[in-house]
Amino acid sequence: MKLTVFNGSPRGQHSNTRMLLEHFLDGFMTSKDNTYELAYLNHLKSRDKFVTMFGEAECVLLAFPLYTDAMPAMVKTFIESLEPLCGREGNPAIGFIVQSGFPEAIHSRALERYLEKLARRLGCRYIGTVIKGGVEGIRTMPSMMTRGLFKSLYLLGRKFGETGSFDRQIVLNLGKPERLTGLRLLSFRLIGRYLSRSKYWDRKLKENKAFDKRFARPYTDKAKS
Amino acid sequence: MKITIFNGNPDGGNDVFDNYLKRLSDALELREHTVTTLTLREMDIRYCIGCFDCWLKTPGECIVADASQDVCRQFIASDLVLFASPLIMGFTSALLKKAHDKLVPLIHPYIGIYHNECHHMPRYEKYPLTGLLLEKGRDSDEEDIEITSEIYRRDALNVHLHFASPG
Repeated sequence: MKLTVFNGSPRGQHSNTRMLLEHFLDGFMTSKDNTYELAYLNHLKSRDKFVTMFGEAECVLLAFPLYTDAMPAMVKTFIESLEPLCGREGNPAIGFIVQSGFPEAIHSRALERYLEKLARRLGCRYIGTVIKGGVEGIRTMPSMMTRGLFKSLYLLGRKFGETGSFDRQIVLNLGKPERLTGLRLLSFRLIGRYLSRSKYWDRKLKENKAFDKRFARPYTDKAKS
Repeated sequence: MKITIFNGNPDGGNDVFDNYLKRLSDALELREHTVTTLTLREMDIRYCIGCFDCWLKTPGECIVADASQDVCRQFIASDLVLFASPLIMGFTSALLKKAHDKLVPLIHPYIGIYHNECHHMPRYEKYPLTGLLLEKGRDSDEEDIEITSEIYRRDALNVHLHFASPG
């Protein structure tokens, strides 16, 4: 199988999406005769080339982070450029990976509906949408914390390379938790705010000497002065 | 009431849409509202590149000095923001989404629990009521409107907005 992969992260080669795709593609390539080509949608000057790649593809994987509860604007620009291909005979099968910083999958479910409809609109066979939360920060996490995630992506890619489908159980597991409940919700309430402040964002704010300004409200503060 | 209309129509030739917004704006002003329309296609707004500098280097402001800073200032000073766009490929325009992505400085990176879900903490005391005004395209259907509304409703939860569904 030949797979055409679009990385829709505005961070491009420095993205968490890239890390997820690397492991997926490592698994995908374990099947003999599988090949792939990869494009970064943040290369804005290559828009025409992306449409050509899509038009010639056998199978497409579009992966991106959740931005304001939907696709990043760059990805929407790409989707709009595909409009002339809607309903064309021979359009590729298409699958999606949506990752977000929120731990719960619920944040991405409305977008999942959109993506399923997009596949129908284009006339593409819909492979499915993989939703994975809790991804922000994986680039700086110790390997023991990401090992399980990367192994799941590898297995997902391997099975996809063998069957052309997303393994339902792996997709289901990656999408957990759907919502925070019980003890997990309680622990987020009690320590989540403290942890998120002190361990990740605050460290970066201090590195940038911006910690003292972290609660700035530039648009109302300036209006008052 | 201070109302801001985000005109996400990317096509200057689509004067039906722009004229509709003009008539709407006039009608609202007749009722003593102050209306500002941001014609986004005429503004220099760059894509959000996910650098998070608006959270971590210049908290509350995009590090790129483009027109998104004017958009943010106008947004936070409004009582009502109307996101207006033709439906293109089943969703609001990339042009509107570009402006929308750049509202991120208005919230915190910090996460809190709201409605039993993780959401960003608010940076400001007050956020506007938001609404969605959609123009159907040739291939639009009720499902597109429902999905788009649902995505905007989800986003309103995150940005601590009160979202008024299209009626």
